[in-house]
Amino acid sequence: MWIPVHIDETRPEPLYHQVEVQLRSLILSGRLAEGTLLPSIREFAADLRCSAITVRRVYQDLENEGLLRTRQGTGTFVAGIDQSARDGYRLERVVEAFERAVETGLQLECTREEMERIWQEAYERKLAETKAEAEKGEGS
Amino acid sequence: MSGRNESLRKTAEWSATVGRHPELRDVPDRVPDAEEAAVTLRGVSVRRESFTLGPLDLSIPAGMVTAIVGSNGSGKSTLMRLLLRMEPFEGEAAVLGQQLTPASDIPLRERIGFVSELPHAYENGLTADEKARFASLWYPGWSWDRYERLMHSLEADRTKKLGKLSKGMRRKAELAVAMSHDPELLLLDEPSSGLDPSAWKTLLEELTRFMDRGDRTLIFATHITEEVRRLADYVLFMHRGRCLGLYEKDRLFEDWRVFAVQRADGAVGRDDAAQLLKSAPGVQGAQASGPGICKLESDAPEETEAYCLSAGYRILSSQRMELEEIMGCLVRKGDAAR
Repeated sequence: MWIPVHIDETRPEPLYHQVEVQLRSLILSGRLAEGTLLPSIREFAADLRCSAITVRRVYQDLENEGLLRTRQGTGTFVAGIDQSARDGYRLERVVEAFERAVETGLQLECTREEMERIWQEAYERKLAETKAEAEKGEGS
Repeated sequence: MSGRNESLRKTAEWSATVGRHPELRDVPDRVPDAEEAAVTLRGVSVRRESFTLGPLDLSIPAGMVTAIVGSNGSGKSTLMRLLLRMEPFEGEAAVLGQQLTPASDIPLRERIGFVSELPHAYENGLTADEKARFASLWYPGWSWDRYERLMHSLEADRTKKLGKLSKGMRRKAELAVAMSHDPELLLLDEPSSGLDPSAWKTLLEELTRFMDRGDRTLIFATHITEEVRRLADYVLFMHRGRCLGLYEKDRLFEDWRVFAVQRADGAVGRDDAAQLLKSAPGVQGAQASGPGICKLESDAPEETEAYCLSAGYRILSSQRMELEEIMGCLVRKGDAAR
C-alpha cells in the first residue's frame, strides 16, 4: 500500500525524523487504522527514495512507542492506540505547526506584533471560510 | 587523508549505525548484523599496463544495496570483475564469507548473479531460452518458474538470437537469467543501459522485490542518479582506481548542503566573500554567484552556518546537494590529498 508521507528536502531535519513524524501523525490521527499492514521496509524505502536503514529505524522507533507491531513472517502492522494518546497528540501537532510558523517569521525578521496580527487575521479568515463552506454545503 | 583511511572510517561509521539495533534480528524483513559483510577487501590491487585499481580496503555490507558511482574509467567494472576473480589481483579478498581463491570459484559462483557491462559476443548465436538452459545446468538454485516470471515481467524476447536483439532487449534477457537461480549476491554493471523507461521501472521493482526478504545483497554500478536515489542504501564513490568512501546514502544527503550567503550589512562591493569563506568550517567549495552572493558547499552544514552568521553573513538559502555535486567535491578533496 502507498503511505502519504512527503519528504521535504529543504528542511534541515534528518530524513528518518521527517518520515517518523509523519507516520506517527498518520497513526495517531486515525488515518491509518489499527491493523493496517504497512509496506515492507524495502518497498517503503523505494517509495520514499530513501535507504532501508532509515525505514528500519522509523519502524523500530514506532514499535518501541507501541504504535506499530511486527508479526514474524507477515510484516509490520498499525497497533491499537488508546484515546488518551490520541488526544495528547492532537495538541502536540498544533504546537509543532505553530513553532514552524514562528520559525519562518523570525527568519524573515517579523516583529512579535506583526506575527500576532498575522495569526489573528489568519484565524478570522479561516473561521469565516469554514463557516461559508458549511453554509454552502447546507444550501445545496 | 588517503582514500584508504576515509573508506575505513566510513565503514566503521556504518558498523556503529547498524550495531545500534541488535534487536532488529526479530523483524521479518530483517537486516543482517554489522559483522556481516558481503565483500571484504584488504590491500587489494589490480595492476594493468594503463590502469591501476586500488589499493582498496573496503567492506560492503550484506543484506543491503550498494551503488558504485564514478566517472568512466574509475574502476567500477574492474572492481566487479575482481569480485568474480575475473581479474588477477594482489591482496586479500573475501566474498560472502569465502576467500577468493581458485578453489572458491565454483562454490562462490553458484551463489552470485552477474550481468556485465557489455554482452558476451560468444553468446550472440543463442536465444534467451538457450542461454537459460545452459545456466540451469550450472546453478543448483535455478528455478524455471522464476525465469518464466522474470522474462514475462521484463517483457523479454525468448526466441530471437541474443545477437539480433536490441541492446535493451538483450539486457532484459540477461537480467532475467542472472536472477533466476536466486543468487545471494547480485552484481550488476550498469544494469539499465539500453532499457526504455517502462522496462527500467519494472527492473527497479524486480530488484526491490529481490531485496525484500532482507538476506540478499545487491551491488550495482551506475551513472544514473535516480537509480541511486531509488535503490541504494550505501553509495561507494570511485575515482581513478581509488575508493573515495562508502557512505550511507541518507546520511550523505543530510551531511552535505549548499548555502547561498550574503553580507548582512549589504556591502555589495566587498565581493571577495567566496575567497574569505573558502576556508570556513565544513566548506568544500565556494564561489561567487551574483552580486554579493556566495555559494558554499559544505559537509558540516551546522558548523558552516554558525560560522557564516558569526562572521556577519546571512543565509539566503540552504539546500541538499545532488549526488553529482557531492561527487565533484569528493573528487576535488581526493585529488588535493594526493
